[in-house]
Amino acid sequence: MSLAVEQPGAVAESHRFSNWLDALDARCERFGDAVNPILVKETRQSLKSRQFVATFSLILFAALAWTIAGSLSMMPQIYTSPSAPRMMIGYYAVLALPMMLVVPLAAYRSLESEIDDGTLELLSITTLSPWQIVLGKLASATLQMLLYFVTLFPCLAYAYSLRGVDLPTTLLIIGALAVAGMVLTVIGLFFAPIAKGRGGRVMTMLVLILILVLGEYGVSALVIGMVFYGNPLSSTEILFAVISTCAFALVASHLLLTATAAQLTPETENRSTAIRLSLLAFTFVTVLISATALILLRHRGVPVYLITLFVIASIWTICGAMMVSERDTITPRIRRELPQSFLARLLLTWLTPGPATGMVFTVSGIFVLTVLQQLSVRWIATSGAAAGVAIAQLNNYISTPGVLYASYVVGYLVVVRALMWAVRRRNNPRVEVGLAAFVVVAILAALVPYSVQLHYYDYQQINYDPAWQYSNWAFTLFTALDQGLPSWHVQNILCGAILLSLIAIVSSWKVTRPRTIATPENVRRELSQSRS
Amino acid sequence: MNDLNPTTEHASVTQENDEAKNASLAVNVSSVPQVHTESSPTIELRRLHRFFGKTKAVNDITFSVGRGQVFGYIGPNGAGKTTSMRILATLDLPSYGDAFVDGFSVVNDPELVRKRLGFMPDSFGTYRDVNCREYLDFFARAYGLVGRERNERLKWVIGFTGTEKMTDKPIRGLSKGMKQRLCLGRALIHDPAVLILDEPAAGLDPRARIELRRMIRELADRGKTILISSHILTELAEMCDAVGIIEQGQLLATGHVDDIQKEMQNEVELTLRVLNRQDEVAAALQQVASTVRVDSVILDGQLVRFAFSGDMADQAAIVTGLVGAGFQIAEVSARKKSLEDVFLQVTEGLVQ
Repeated sequence: MSLAVEQPGAVAESHRFSNWLDALDARCERFGDAVNPILVKETRQSLKSRQFVATFSLILFAALAWTIAGSLSMMPQIYTSPSAPRMMIGYYAVLALPMMLVVPLAAYRSLESEIDDGTLELLSITTLSPWQIVLGKLASATLQMLLYFVTLFPCLAYAYSLRGVDLPTTLLIIGALAVAGMVLTVIGLFFAPIAKGRGGRVMTMLVLILILVLGEYGVSALVIGMVFYGNPLSSTEILFAVISTCAFALVASHLLLTATAAQLTPETENRSTAIRLSLLAFTFVTVLISATALILLRHRGVPVYLITLFVIASIWTICGAMMVSERDTITPRIRRELPQSFLARLLLTWLTPGPATGMVFTVSGIFVLTVLQQLSVRWIATSGAAAGVAIAQLNNYISTPGVLYASYVVGYLVVVRALMWAVRRRNNPRVEVGLAAFVVVAILAALVPYSVQLHYYDYQQINYDPAWQYSNWAFTLFTALDQGLPSWHVQNILCGAILLSLIAIVSSWKVTRPRTIATPENVRRELSQSRS
Repeated sequence: MNDLNPTTEHASVTQENDEAKNASLAVNVSSVPQVHTESSPTIELRRLHRFFGKTKAVNDITFSVGRGQVFGYIGPNGAGKTTSMRILATLDLPSYGDAFVDGFSVVNDPELVRKRLGFMPDSFGTYRDVNCREYLDFFARAYGLVGRERNERLKWVIGFTGTEKMTDKPIRGLSKGMKQRLCLGRALIHDPAVLILDEPAAGLDPRARIELRRMIRELADRGKTILISSHILTELAEMCDAVGIIEQGQLLATGHVDDIQKEMQNEVELTLRVLNRQDEVAAALQQVASTVRVDSVILDGQLVRFAFSGDMADQAAIVTGLVGAGFQIAEVSARKKSLEDVFLQVTEGLVQ
């Protein structure tokens, strides 16, 4: 046995190193404390889970296999001619599967199993908010995607070095994958708490898989097109496409995540205001994208304009049907937080939960959007962005259907509001029932007058008759698009919608002005203590 | 709604009819500022109702538990114990009424209640690929514990629940008893003032039950207020300061176990060993016990059993009277009602 005598210098060095390690450890500990607990837990779980290990191993194996097989299959041209496109597509395929299918499905399963296993209940009585829970799940999915991407990064760099795909295209491919992966994960999380029963779970799972496959198909078509046929867009168009896609993905994801968090929030808490604010942000950004597309790209921006029009119309219809179906009871907890000053009440009351405020919010939103749409049609006609299309045609194809659609939506929402008020007298259904009621009302409003007119005319072929088909949105819209409608008929439908919405708003005027109440002394004391 | 709780304010802006209120979730109460003092009960249920359609799972329950007390919540399966505990744990909402923890409403201030409350459900889900330490660490983080404080709490909880040897074991492989310990540890991780334990002893072996009882008593000694449920009265008798017996959503009896037992002890089963004229005992009993009720007389050879409602003096008078009438009595024994008997007497075994 020999005794080692340490030199004083070596001891000091070792001591310094030890101190440095301790400091690093403390910093890591502090970082871990600041990070969302769900992220910490899910990362620990993932690193031990068979699913992650299997996916990771498969990716590594597939990437290695493709590197060898792809390179060998292109020998000896690989030395002389650009070979990146083929290799890039292969690596894209390897990366796309986990990022756009495995990770979103895993996120869906993760939240769903929290609900099924009862662990979500245990989490909901901690200090974690539903938003933190949802964001933690998203962060953990993002981390997994990042790991997969980092694993494949050397392969992508190798493909790029083979020439044939430029750097912007490579970055666009990576960006498209990342954005698509994130949005699909958000959609997966959104679907997780929707269904309660086993049958519903299977249905939502199938719908989600369909969306994921369609998403993967769409992004793959885009990537393959870019790699093999080059990028058809100008630099301005690319910049616009990148910024608008990112902005749209961000607001759409925020809206979906807010809705997901609302599904995990107890009924006594305010679940509506955040969704309404998120919907406003979504609408603002989408309108901005639409306007920028028209101003920047002129007639090439018209498809973007039409797509955004469709998206906004759909989202306001869906959200409107759910907002007018909310419970009309406002808990003391929510009433404590209502705006108090006159100005705040004037501007913010419409964000207060409840079907009456929901009705006013939706009608106001649809009104503003319809006015904007009419103005945009005028602008398209006068600015030359219509590329020679006559103003009469623009009126027929965009302007009149826009007014008609908005009028019908408002009219049906009034009916849905009345129906849900009646249903809520004896039951406490979810707001999704309002959406189902909207669909039923829309179908009946179209089918009943059509059937009656058909019966009246002995089941012969019938033409559009304004007297019969006032409530028939489908027949009216198709006729307007096909041959145009007399303006007095459109005005009548519009006036009918305005009248109905005014009746609905006036009849529930009291409910649209809930009064704020005082916060109990002990709660105020507790809150001020925790703030300090 | 107001007539149920006159001190509270109607939360609903609209006036719904009664049936609608039954169907809709509750939302009343405690909008009137309350002053909470040290002497106020830590747990308080005020006219709590919870309806699921026509089923009245909890039907007008009111009771309170003081600081540091252990309150046993007893009732048959489906009595409404779990529902009212879930409401108290802010996992469900009452149809009417409210519950308070440390003066904070579970309906209106659930986040303030959650800080003070540890809940152990009757069955708890576990995470795949997580060991015991990671599980506790995760919940400590979820309750906002950081750095040294979290490590110290983890250490204490692991020591208290005796789970040191299984910290690195995956949860899914644990036995029922070990899982219960872990779940108790999770409920204690943020050092709550109030603990709600839903059937913690269910499925445990005798040793684990004794161990659990010790832990609960120790927690009560440390000032924790504990609400613990079971469908076995004897299980709770030794560790509870008070109990509440619930059936069909209604509280049938509350108070200390001994008090309830005493209240129900209006009858004693008396057994006499009579060596002669056993056939005449029944008639003689009716004669000698004229002031007290004697019924259900059963003859079993030399043994004569009968239910008797009276005190010790009446008991002595009966024996003296029988001896005076020439009966040879060799043995007298009285059996008080057991806790099971009391429980059976209070409840009727009805399930909704």
